[in-house]
Amino acid sequence: MKKTLLATSLVVLTGTTAFSETIGATFSRFDDNWLTVLRNGMVEYAGTIDGLSYQQEDATDDLAKQIDQVKNFVASGVDAIIVNIVDTSAGAAVSAAAGDTPLVYVNREPDNVNELPATQAFVASNEIESGTLSAFEICKNLRADGKAGGATGYLMNGQLSNQAAVQRSKDVHDVIGMDMCNFMTIIDEQTANWSRDEAQDLMTNWMSSGEPFDFVLANNDEMAIGAIQAMKAAGMDMADVQVGGVDASQDALLAMAVGDYDVTVFQDSVGQGTGSIDTALRLIAGEKVDKKVYIPFVLVTPANMGDFMDKN
Amino acid sequence: MEETSHGTGGLTFDKSKRSWPNEMNILLALIIIIVIFEILGQALPYMKDQSFLFDSRDRFDSIFNEARLKIIILQVAIIGIIALGVTQVIITAGIDLSSGPLVAATAMIAMSLAQTELVNGYPNPKAVFGVWAMDLPVIIPVVAGLIFGAMIGAINGTFIAYFRIPPFIATLGMFMICRGIALWWSGGNPVSFPTESFKSIGAGMMPVFWFLSLAVIFHFILKYTVYGKHTYAIGSNEEAARMSGINVKRHKVLVYMIASMLAAFAGVILSAKASTAQAGMGEFYELFAIAMAVIGGISLTGGRGSIIGTVLGAMVFGVIRSGFTFVKLDGSYQLMAMGGIIIAAVVLDQYRQRNKA
Repeated sequence: MKKTLLATSLVVLTGTTAFSETIGATFSRFDDNWLTVLRNGMVEYAGTIDGLSYQQEDATDDLAKQIDQVKNFVASGVDAIIVNIVDTSAGAAVSAAAGDTPLVYVNREPDNVNELPATQAFVASNEIESGTLSAFEICKNLRADGKAGGATGYLMNGQLSNQAAVQRSKDVHDVIGMDMCNFMTIIDEQTANWSRDEAQDLMTNWMSSGEPFDFVLANNDEMAIGAIQAMKAAGMDMADVQVGGVDASQDALLAMAVGDYDVTVFQDSVGQGTGSIDTALRLIAGEKVDKKVYIPFVLVTPANMGDFMDKN
Repeated sequence: MEETSHGTGGLTFDKSKRSWPNEMNILLALIIIIVIFEILGQALPYMKDQSFLFDSRDRFDSIFNEARLKIIILQVAIIGIIALGVTQVIITAGIDLSSGPLVAATAMIAMSLAQTELVNGYPNPKAVFGVWAMDLPVIIPVVAGLIFGAMIGAINGTFIAYFRIPPFIATLGMFMICRGIALWWSGGNPVSFPTESFKSIGAGMMPVFWFLSLAVIFHFILKYTVYGKHTYAIGSNEEAARMSGINVKRHKVLVYMIASMLAAFAGVILSAKASTAQAGMGEFYELFAIAMAVIGGISLTGGRGSIIGTVLGAMVFGVIRSGFTFVKLDGSYQLMAMGGIIIAAVVLDQYRQRNKA
């Protein structure tokens, strides 16, 4: 197995030096923090491969635009396309737009992942893990704090039209549905559109009711940080509240370092980025690839945060 | 130039019909909306008889729920600052769509000059410039932001006034350019970790302080200065304004510059409040700012509108946002309600105008 891997990577390496490949990539949006880390990592990695020309475009969360971008890539004769899909339920349309040109889905799982043609593949993390890891850790922390008799809290959703947001919130509800964690009650859930400043205002609105609470779960780090800023501004002691999010961004890790932030989840941008480019190159070379490559999420707490400081 | 021809198409001004100013209607609407939420707090079974505005849990010294009063205005203060500028633009019969992305671009620029070198003992992981740009006095990022805003406004105004590009098109173009600048500035990466002094200009109730101070200043400027009278005159009848010797082109450039500087200032305060700058900030702010002015009784055809109206329009937004969170209804309902209120405000206003004429 190792030998074949080595052999294939050698083939890829020699292949890339001999020819010049072009890969076109389209991302759901350029202003998303985590996707930016992914994008920049991919540009960097592509630069290390001789003869590879790599270009990326912004679909601005517009599926129709993204399909046009894929068609444009095909028309301009790229050798492979990488897609961070805007709408995961539109896999069939995007796959069809690519035709025979090799295509790799990155980061978001299209609904047709099990019916992908031979020239297409998928590299990402399994979104069900992220929300679950975060919420379950908060549940354990609350138990450790002696709150197993009943704990209340708030849930901050990302953009309501976004699949990852919907999935992560569903994960939270699933965790709370488990016997071990059903002592947790969500007082209210609202969207703060992934954004820190909206989360500040939302948290302040919630606190204006004066209802006591024990935890805040957010679909991403930015909203969790916004909630923390609002709670600190209101004079709350962050030791009394469990706050959980997803991303393990640098801002989040520094908040964790001073004890304000309790739980986040690391999504491996380097693994996804290099994995998708490698897979694209192997598809160009006409090799057989794994249709689905899952890069695992990792739980991040104050205990292991040091390992992630310079990763995202 | 008499103040009397505001938006009435040159009809003579009848003082008796002005006894009930438009702003009173908005205030009335605001009170009605508050009463509705107050009733819902009592009527909805899951609300356990909570009060919207009053201190039903005995947490404060006053009879009011001070925390809620504060957040109602705090959450609209930053868009409110933009609305003060767009109000002036709309009074000249123009429009400014570029303010939301300008907020993001200015936030990036200001925050890059407001960073601190060490964060909890770690070197700042988001540093944009070198050590020379670290721990600068707070005035530098603020002034840099305002200069950038003034430049954008001058470009908007010049194309509109001197090249006769329709304001909608000129500022739509600038909308995209500014979003592009915001994304390009740090390649989409957030810029974070400002100095304590920079944070302090957006901390706590500071955004409200800036919003209300600027509102008072511009209320007086629009009402009692030559700048204000010229602004209304241009919006009422641009040709007549020109005939009466107003330098219409130069004045328009000035109005767009002031509007963009206010939006840029909003961007600075927003980044200080969130202690981060991100390329996606300020999304839809331009439309919310216009909506605040519209609820405040402004006429998109120019010549009519006021700062007091816009401030009340902003309050309507704040009350609705807090009210929906209070009764635990999610964002989708808020948008539907706000949309309905915007349309209702214009319908009522037009009905009123027709009766007045």
